[in-house]
Amino acid sequence: MTATPPPAGRPAVRPQPSVPAAATGVGGAVVLVGTRVALWLGVQLGVAGLLVLAGTTATGGQPLNDAAAWWMVDGALVDLGTLAVIGWLLRRDGGSYRRLLGPPTAAWQVALGAVGVLAASVPAMAFSAELTSAVYGDATPPMFAVVDLPPLASVFSVLVVPLLAELAEPVAYLGVVLPRLEQRLGRPWVAATIVVVVWAAEHALYPVMVSGGGLDLGFAAYRVGSVLPFLATWTALYYALGRRLLPIMAARWAVNGGTALALALGQVG
Amino acid sequence: MHSRTLYRLTYLAAAMSLGHHLDHLIRHNAVGWPLTGQVNAFTISLVVYPAIATGLLLYRAGRVGPGFWALVSGGGAVFVSAVHFGPAAVEPPDMILGHYDPPILGWLAFTWLVTFVAVLAITCLYETRLWSQQRQARRAAPPATGVGSKR
Repeated sequence: MTATPPPAGRPAVRPQPSVPAAATGVGGAVVLVGTRVALWLGVQLGVAGLLVLAGTTATGGQPLNDAAAWWMVDGALVDLGTLAVIGWLLRRDGGSYRRLLGPPTAAWQVALGAVGVLAASVPAMAFSAELTSAVYGDATPPMFAVVDLPPLASVFSVLVVPLLAELAEPVAYLGVVLPRLEQRLGRPWVAATIVVVVWAAEHALYPVMVSGGGLDLGFAAYRVGSVLPFLATWTALYYALGRRLLPIMAARWAVNGGTALALALGQVG
Repeated sequence: MHSRTLYRLTYLAAAMSLGHHLDHLIRHNAVGWPLTGQVNAFTISLVVYPAIATGLLLYRAGRVGPGFWALVSGGGAVFVSAVHFGPAAVEPPDMILGHYDPPILGWLAFTWLVTFVAVLAITCLYETRLWSQQRQARRAAPPATGVGSKR
């Protein structure tokens, strides 16, 4: 069976048959986002606890900052947990993972789309760079400065983590959460706005940093502000590309994989 | 067939372009003819308004399609990006961020610019997809029956 392309005059925001009807509804979306939030917090706290037990860090707020050095590796556990919840939701709703990725897309369309996504992300990169410069000057922003991994973990963070992130994160927010919110709210732009805000807010948790005896809220705000334009752009592109996720996943993999590689090679931080 | 989304995105991009030109007027830096005697990127960028008006008339008449709009949006995105972002930018972000008091207004103007370029780029991709779909639909459509053909 072949997919019929939607008529040219139709708005791009109409939910498509490729998105499975979700019996679990918005509750499933809340479980998914809640799992990610809980895992980000739980894994970093767990690593901090291990560091204290191993005696490699002081008590107080220091263990959290020391544990933050592992946040890129923590991401693999968060994304595995995300994939597990997506699998559970799919079993309950009777859908398939492939259908979450949108209509069939040829390899050349994925490649061309990914180049387009990267080009469309340039304004977001410019904004993020200016914000970083305004907040931290010439210094490396904390989420990169804190990364300090042994060689094996560095290789893992370059080869495995970015791939897992693409299989889980955009699929969770754009493939699972967004259609459920659209179904519930009936207004795609409201659903998209909520997704972008929640998705950006989640970034405040990786990593959680402590400063002056309390949580570093300034860093959390910077983190949210620096990713917001990227997430807004990618969500808009999801609609513009007819709900095709693969070009967005490919472009994000290039950006995140490149950043991880630069960190591992000591080019950043 | 005309796309309502394409119309809306075109109006949005035109409104954002107007807002960015207003930002130029308020800052009064990096402006050119007709405000000064110098012909520069500002002057060239004003071509966008007659281009959009002509394009809308031709689109309504069925003379141009999404491919035309993809070129206009993509060309606009490349032009504005080249002028404002990157190492060779003639009007880098500092020229916007550093010319407002209070500074938050500079950030608003810069956010507007970033959104404007993103809208152009996203619109270009949407129009490219629309153009590709129309081409596929035309190719898939059965050939028209000739006048003299027999049943």
